[in-house]
Amino acid sequence: MLLSKQKRYLSGSDWVINTLDHLMKATTGVGNLSQVVLLLDAPLDESEVRNRLNAFVKQFLVLQGQVSRDLKLAPYWKIPARPGRDISLTVLNAEGLLSRESILALFEKSANTPFHDDKEHLAFHLFKDAERCLLAMAFDHRIFDARGAELFLNLFQQNMNDGSPAASGDITFTSSAALTQWSKKFLAGRTVNRRIIALSKSSPRALPIPRDGAASQRYHLLSFDQQETAHIYDRAYTEAGYLMESPYLLSVILQCVHELFATKQEDGSSYLIPVTTDLRPNKEPLQEMFFNYVSYLFYQVPAGEVADRKGLIALLKQQMYDQVKSGFPKDLAEASLLTRIAPLPLLGKLLHLPMKGKMATFAFSHLGKSSYQQPLFMGKKVLELFHMPRVPVPPGLGFFSNYYNGRLNLVISYLDGLLRDDEVQMLDRRIREGFGLGRPS
Amino acid sequence: MTIQEIENTLIQGIASISNQDASAVSPDKPFHELGIDSLGFVEILVFIEKTFKLQLIASDLTKKDFETIHSLASYINTRL
Repeated sequence: MLLSKQKRYLSGSDWVINTLDHLMKATTGVGNLSQVVLLLDAPLDESEVRNRLNAFVKQFLVLQGQVSRDLKLAPYWKIPARPGRDISLTVLNAEGLLSRESILALFEKSANTPFHDDKEHLAFHLFKDAERCLLAMAFDHRIFDARGAELFLNLFQQNMNDGSPAASGDITFTSSAALTQWSKKFLAGRTVNRRIIALSKSSPRALPIPRDGAASQRYHLLSFDQQETAHIYDRAYTEAGYLMESPYLLSVILQCVHELFATKQEDGSSYLIPVTTDLRPNKEPLQEMFFNYVSYLFYQVPAGEVADRKGLIALLKQQMYDQVKSGFPKDLAEASLLTRIAPLPLLGKLLHLPMKGKMATFAFSHLGKSSYQQPLFMGKKVLELFHMPRVPVPPGLGFFSNYYNGRLNLVISYLDGLLRDDEVQMLDRRIREGFGLGRPS
Repeated sequence: MTIQEIENTLIQGIASISNQDASAVSPDKPFHELGIDSLGFVEILVFIEKTFKLQLIASDLTKKDFETIHSLASYINTRL
């Protein structure tokens, strides 16, 4: 076990995220970037935001690290001894109240802007008018997963609440090259291989990737107020059972995507959906804020079994149960350790082999209750919080939901050209109807 | 097995799944207040199957059965 302030070995999950980052840079020019967005009830002062965030972020030298590899073959995150550049903050002052369309266009622009270099992993965007503002923290997924990003903002606000100087970011990371217990890793690898081979027997339906379009990311936000959210959760309980929001949300989304495919002539007899799961051990809160603690569940649903909601929910629940029971998410994380020896370009190609280039139909994640537990951010009330991740290509399509302050938000993230505007509107309308809601949000 | 023994076993399992100290897991708190999501809940159901040989994923569990660890222990007791 290594205890170091300058070096933190990457886990298998980290290496999967690094591979996706490499693939996304190759296919879209921008890496595995996401944004966590706060909508505030009043504008923030630009210089205060810049000064406070800069002072806070600079304490965490890990945020200016980069991937390196030592003689032991295991890749690690090399952390500098001194802070480097100031944070990147772009500010836009709008004259009128920002419309939803203009907000999404702004976030599409920031999502499609790569970091300056391989040592920059955070950037902030402040969009404001006279009445409110939006603050987005764009982050490199190699340094934070979605929950980690929320925890980071939460820690920032906690420090604001306490009136204390920023928390010490001088972290001694505990990590391991994990070059032992090979039989455990190979056994996990065997389980994962068998699962992937089973999944690859049926070619998944996937939307065709536009060949000549711009490789930029587009977003659509479905925002539900507290009453609507309570209604959705109530239906989740009635239709799927206690605490079964995730399979319920996925069932509604999958039915809508199925409807979309009904208008297309795409090959494939089933839908394949990788779903992110959180394996965070919750033992070292400061350390676990950084890097990745995610694994995946894979749902495979024959197209003929999507229309019946009750049957679909039962199928999703059973697949979830079977994968958890067999320990698949943990096996995947363990087996991923073996992949760290492979260079990223090679690993990127290997990832495409089992499904002949069709890696999934879409990605899905339900983050659940937010880890940002503050009602305020820098003194302003937080009205909404949502995530806007880029999606690997393929599949170039993802649905990401989260819950904050009694409100559910659902973001559709898609590659430009993958969906037409009327198809996005159809998904919006049908998802709302699927939740038993009629009027637009 | 008594209800108390079932309850203690559940507390140990849930503490392990949610990475909390067993003393922090209150038998009178609803599961959703223990910070358990869909995945954590399924892990608990798997734990129940492995420990008590009861498969509950497809059963008609109600919110009331999961209101607290105590009520779940009572439910399991009726099924054993």
